[in-house]
Parts: sequence; C-alpha cells; structure tokens
Amino acid sequence: MASSLMGALELLLHPTPMLLSILSTTLQMALLSSCAALLLGVPLGAALSLLRFPGRQALVVLNRTLMGLPPVVCGLICYMLFSGVGPLRQFKLLYTVPGMVIAQIILITPLVTGIMESSLGHTAGAVRETARGMGLGGGVTLLLTLNENRYQIISAYLMAFGRAMAEVGAVSMVGGAIAYKTNVMTTAIMMYTNRGDFTLGLSLGILLLLISLAVNLAVWLLQKRWA
Amino acid sequence: MEIRHLSKTYGGKRVLDIPAFAFEPNTRYAVIGANGSGKSTLARLLAGVIPADPGAAISGGGSVGYMPQKSLGFRLSVRRNLRLGVRDAQAGERSARLAAELGLDALAKRDGGSLSGGETAKLALARVLAGRWDVLILDEPTAAMDVPAALRAEECILRCQRETGCTLILVTHAFGQAERIGQQALFLHEGQLWEHGPAEQLLHHPLRPETRQFLRFGAFA
Repeated sequence: MASSLMGALELLLHPTPMLLSILSTTLQMALLSSCAALLLGVPLGAALSLLRFPGRQALVVLNRTLMGLPPVVCGLICYMLFSGVGPLRQFKLLYTVPGMVIAQIILITPLVTGIMESSLGHTAGAVRETARGMGLGGGVTLLLTLNENRYQIISAYLMAFGRAMAEVGAVSMVGGAIAYKTNVMTTAIMMYTNRGDFTLGLSLGILLLLISLAVNLAVWLLQKRWA
Repeated sequence: MEIRHLSKTYGGKRVLDIPAFAFEPNTRYAVIGANGSGKSTLARLLAGVIPADPGAAISGGGSVGYMPQKSLGFRLSVRRNLRLGVRDAQAGERSARLAAELGLDALAKRDGGSLSGGETAKLALARVLAGRWDVLILDEPTAAMDVPAALRAEECILRCQRETGCTLILVTHAFGQAERIGQQALFLHEGQLWEHGPAEQLLHHPLRPETRQFLRFGAFA
C-alpha cells in the first residue's frame, strides 16, 4: 500500500503520456457534458417550475424517474443506438468521446433539471409577483429568477461535473476504455486494478480527488466574491 | 377601475367575494380588515398576479403598479434594483428623489438580497413609486418599517399620488395610516366588502357592529 502510494506520487510528479491522455480525455468529457447538461437542464427546470401547461406534472414525474436512471442502462441504450445495427450508426459515435459525452448528458441533465425545478419553485412566486408589480416583462423576470438562484445553479453545475468525472458504467460501455482515445480516469482505474497495477490506479484516484478539490475551491472563491 | 363578481376560492373555501365596486380615479383608498379578511387577496387580484374565479370582471384599470406584502430586494446592488423599473428620465429623477427621501442612498452599493425587512420595504416602495401608474396598489408597505421611516414613507406615498393623480389602493393594518392616507376606506370582513365610504366617516362612525368591533382596537395601531 505504502509503496503504491509513493509510486503514485512519483507518477503524478513525472506524468507519463498515458496518464496525460487519460487526464485530457476525462476533463474534455466531463467539461463538455456538464456544460451541455447545465445549458439544457436550467431552461428545462425553469420551464417545469415557472410555466403551467397540460402534462407538466407528468413531465416532472418523468424527470424524477430519469434522475434515478442507472448508468449501465443508459450505457446499454446508447450502445444500442450507436452500434452497427442501431438507428444512429451513421454518426459513428460508438467508442468515441462525443458518444461518451452524449451518454453523460442523458444521465446528468435530469439531475440539473430536477435541482432547478425544485429550487426555482421556492423563489419564483415571490420574484414573479414583485417583478409584475413593477411592470417588468417576462424576459427580465426570468433573468431575475435565475439571478436569485445563482448559487443553486452553481451547485447544480458542481454536481453535474462531479457526476461526469466519477461515472463509470455508461462511459465504459459507450467508450470502451480504448487507450489514448476513450480511456478516462474511472475506466482506467478499473482496468489497472484488474491488472494488479495499483500504483497507476492510485495515482489516477488521487488526481481525480485533486481535480474535484480544485473545482470546488474555484467555485467557493467565486461564491465568496459574489456574496 | 371597476370590479364585478370578483371572487377567489382556495381549496373549496371562498376567501373573497365582492359583487361590485368602482374605484374612482385620483382617489386614495385604504383597505382595512382583520387577518384573513381577504385584503391581500383583493390586492393580488386587482394587480393581476393571481387569477380570479371564472365569471369575474376587472375593467378600466389602465396600468397597475403593485407592491406585494412580501416584496423582494433582488440580488443586485440597491442602485441597480432602483433602476429596474425606470423607463424614462422623469422616472429616473423620481427614483433618485425617493431613494434620498427614504434613506436608500447610503445603501446604494449593498446587495438588495442582504437588506433587513425594513430596508427591503423601503427599496420596494421606492421602486414602485418611481413608476407612473393609473392604479397603484400597496399591500402593507410600511409594516416592516420603524415609525419615523413609516411616516416618511407615507409622505412619499401621498406626494407621488398627488403628483401622478393615480388611484391609490392601500392595504393596511394601521388605523392611523388609513386615516392619514385614505380619502375613502373599505372594511373587509370574512372575504366580504362589509362597509365602505369616506375614510373619516368609516373610521370614526362605522355603521356596522363588526366594523366597530374591529376599530375598537384602532387606537393602538
């Protein structure tokens, strides 16, 4: 254990091309999918929270169901869609980073939507009433509502990013953990642990935690500046 | 502004039911009544922020400004909060004057979401008074303010109403405020418009026993 830890620290100080490739693929996938989930989930959550239309409650229940979608089931569905016999085969998404990003977006967007739907619901009424009393239009009211919930939006993003970084089931099925192409930290940790290479697995685990710490620190500083 | 068959039902309980009433232009109305008598529901219905029961009609109001009982200070600077409803130079001047009168200048850089209850009420009042409305509805605008601030706020409300000639509908618990601001008064009781008339007459010589009962405690407000 101690020798593995020392080896991991040594590897982090002098990273190999393989480690850098895994890190780059992971960050690319996590950033793209979490940003896309935020861009989709915030308006969807706002619509479910602020608008009243037939079928709204059914959509809320559907979204809450999708929040619990098992990653392997998502991976399986994406695999079937992207594979050689699937309806999306012409896009050649299987075993690619864009394919992994799509799977992650399917997994994460309902979580962001759910958080926004619930948090906007608490403040939207008061914002709408105050804004309407001042004669403000719907666009300004929406912006004010989102501004009132900016901490919740940041929390939703953090959760989405963390989930994208830590997810393993869907990305391993859709990405296939191909070295120098689709291998990300979580799939690599699994692979190296199965091979008995604990040093590389541990160094990736430490790196994963350090990235999570860095992102949280950056957001904390941002929140402090806004407060 | 005229209302006909104005009613509101929550969970099967009718909380407001007014067959007909006309608010005259350039007149100040004080709406009084006990907790749960339907005052805020009436204000919200007139402001159009909640829908009335089917069959209700509100007509001839024109532009309506409304300060809700639980107004928000938006999470922007107080200065930006004050600019939100400003649409022309005149409104800008009114807003600046109101900010000075209500003591908001010193708070200009503060976050509107971090203000105390009284400060938030001053901000909300300044924002809505800066606009030019045909009908202005204020729901307990000074409830969170201390007495000197409330009296200054009353002066601002009176001046703005006189300058713009709007119909003012003031929901209040404070007997003295109703007397100082209202030309006409409406007493709501269990969701009904129980009694209305000139404020002086209704507040000092009410006709109905329920109004008298309520106003017995007016001296403390």
